[in-house]
Amino acid sequence: MSRRIAVALLAIAAVFAGALVYSGCGGDDDDGADSGTQGQAASDIKPGTTVRLWIMPNGPQPQEDMEAALTPFTEETGIKVDVEVVDWGVQLDRIRNAAVSGEAPDVTQAGTTQVPFFAALGGFEDLSGRVEDIGGEGAYPDGVWQTTQVAGQDGVWSAPWFTEARSIYYRKDVLEKAGVDEATAFQDWDSFRATLQAIKDNVPGIQPFGTPGKKAFDLVHHVMPFVWDAGGAELSDDNSQSTINSPEAVEGVSFFADLVADGLADPSQLERDGTQVENQFKGGKIAVWMGGPWVLGSIEREDDTNWVPAARKNVGVAPMPAGPQGDAFTFVGGSNLMMFESSENKNEAWEVMKFLSQDQVQTDYASLLGMFPARTEPQQSYGESNGANFESVFQAIQQGRTYAPIPQWGAVENAYKERFGTILDNAAQGDASDAAIQKQLDEAAKEADGLLAQTTG
Amino acid sequence: MTTQLSPTEPTAHVIVDPPRRRGSSLRSSRSRFIAALVAPAILFMLIVHLLPTVGGFYLSFKNLNLFTFRQLFDAPWIGLGNYEAILFQDNPLRTGFMGAVQNTAVYVFWTVSATIGGGLAIALLMNRDMRGIKVIRTLMLTPWIVPSFVVAVLWQYMWQSDIGIVNKLLVDYSGLLDERPVWLIGPNSLWAIIIPSIWRGLPFAMLIFLAGLQAMPKELHEAAAIDGAGPFKRFRYITLPLLRPLIAVQLLFGVIYATYQFAIPYVMFGSNPGPHADLMMTLIVRQSFSNNLFGFGSAVSVLLMMAMFVWVAIWYRAFKRDLEVA
Repeated sequence: MSRRIAVALLAIAAVFAGALVYSGCGGDDDDGADSGTQGQAASDIKPGTTVRLWIMPNGPQPQEDMEAALTPFTEETGIKVDVEVVDWGVQLDRIRNAAVSGEAPDVTQAGTTQVPFFAALGGFEDLSGRVEDIGGEGAYPDGVWQTTQVAGQDGVWSAPWFTEARSIYYRKDVLEKAGVDEATAFQDWDSFRATLQAIKDNVPGIQPFGTPGKKAFDLVHHVMPFVWDAGGAELSDDNSQSTINSPEAVEGVSFFADLVADGLADPSQLERDGTQVENQFKGGKIAVWMGGPWVLGSIEREDDTNWVPAARKNVGVAPMPAGPQGDAFTFVGGSNLMMFESSENKNEAWEVMKFLSQDQVQTDYASLLGMFPARTEPQQSYGESNGANFESVFQAIQQGRTYAPIPQWGAVENAYKERFGTILDNAAQGDASDAAIQKQLDEAAKEADGLLAQTTG
Repeated sequence: MTTQLSPTEPTAHVIVDPPRRRGSSLRSSRSRFIAALVAPAILFMLIVHLLPTVGGFYLSFKNLNLFTFRQLFDAPWIGLGNYEAILFQDNPLRTGFMGAVQNTAVYVFWTVSATIGGGLAIALLMNRDMRGIKVIRTLMLTPWIVPSFVVAVLWQYMWQSDIGIVNKLLVDYSGLLDERPVWLIGPNSLWAIIIPSIWRGLPFAMLIFLAGLQAMPKELHEAAAIDGAGPFKRFRYITLPLLRPLIAVQLLFGVIYATYQFAIPYVMFGSNPGPHADLMMTLIVRQSFSNNLFGFGSAVSVLLMMAMFVWVAIWYRAFKRDLEVA
């Protein structure tokens, strides 16, 4: 029995038998790569070829938006693009299965923190020989370019597509009622706390701050900026060990957990996921929230009925507050495009990736999503030409940090998320002591070290 | 065969032998027909149950992680390494495993006992002639036809501590509690999945018991009543023993179903329900598919399957007599 059939059987078992076996197909060891095609001239492009592209639900009409963005490309090149939207909830599994089995589209969108994992898994094309076509490293901010790499390995595994950074979103009218100057409200940790306290004391009927808990897939993005601000880090410099239980990390996590324990963050928001908490902000239930630029994009959308009028017209954006050392970090994420090694239309696939990497195309598409272009120049002009809130997000991207580009990061992030969720749950029950936090972070570090020690042997 | 015909019984052979051949041929043909009918089912079972289970068992001895995943069956062999890590080594995976075992045991105990006990109680109430009983019985079945996914979504909103209907009933409307309990975080979160599971399971249990009660001969209760047995004694010595086979079957399936519960905690809490509500299945799926520890996940699956084998053996021993009587 071929390995392919055997693994397909296992896939069925995962559903029917409850026996845990992986559901992907055993791929051929023959990687199907055709490195000879790299960098080939446009004359090798075959008009009429169909390139299959997987994207995630970017915005309220992802399929229509993407197809509209690609219409000029098809008219110009004759290359058709078959767009399929893959939900975020299953995209990791589907991309992984596709990479391993070879039953894959030509190009896929991937979260920036997923790129190292997929690259290490195999099944993706090294784009080193092609990226000069889109300007190479020099065309992107350092932090963004870093998301195309795998630490300790050569190769460029993706093309940056769009980017975002977490910032503070607040209600201007609520701050005014609380008697807080919005220019200094979120300057540093102390003023951040003082602002929330002022809202709690002076503005009834609205919760000062809301953060999602363990249900949020991006909980780590909310907590890590405070760890970085305090001088902590997620991993040691050589990425071999977790440092999430360092005193600095404990200080950062404690600051965040204390907001819950001290009644400045609404504990009931911990029961919700990120989208639900976002809707609480839009619905006027919470005054301050940490989010991404897609919220700015949704202000103008009348079909987004989650907004109440008072919230819609009073949104302010501030960069993340500076910590005790004066640093104000935030998480920068977004999505990149990866090409499957099994693609039989690599040149045409690359043409699609090149088109989506053009300055104006990136700007137009990112503005539809409420994101920012990944490329330096359009990112800057987009941030500086759309008002104060967009400029704040642009500044946030410049202060941004992302996680170590290692294959195990996704699993390590899950371990951290689990413990951060428990810490916030405990804080909601009144226990945000340093000892309780240290205990959870020790467990997180231990689990992360086990994951980092994974080997091929 | 004519060469074997006895001269004393020629006709007997002539008459008897052909029907025997015809019978044998018929039986053989019938057997082939039955085999042909059963073969697809056996093949299906082999493909979707047996082979994958064997495959999963084999993978549990492999160091199958994100670096070796593409090798799948050729991944490095580590013998009992995964089992040792789960059962004997001091590591967070083992801590998480033990927590999930404990949560699953509590979940199964309360879900199964309350479903069977509650289902029996409701069936006893429904087993009478009164106006509108058919409508009430139909309404009672409603939770059962709601998919688990929808149950979890509905209850997730009902449990919200600030706007959920549960706290509105307990605090705002009835004043039973002074403070709003938080259901979806902390120790209460296990109850937040147990109660909807019971809610969904009750109608089916009720239906089975009701069928059993309605098939029960009324004469037994009438005779016992004439002999002076009260309602409790009649329940204890007539109803309950006659329902034992039904209880046995529900216990078997209830424990297995509850042990493999995944949809409700996953929809309600995501892949990480937290230490208070993490069940075996959420642990397996999270560690395998989110953290890429496929060898670990396979080993936990095998242990879970073995635990279910043990449960079935215990169950069979305990209820063998009832099944034979039934």
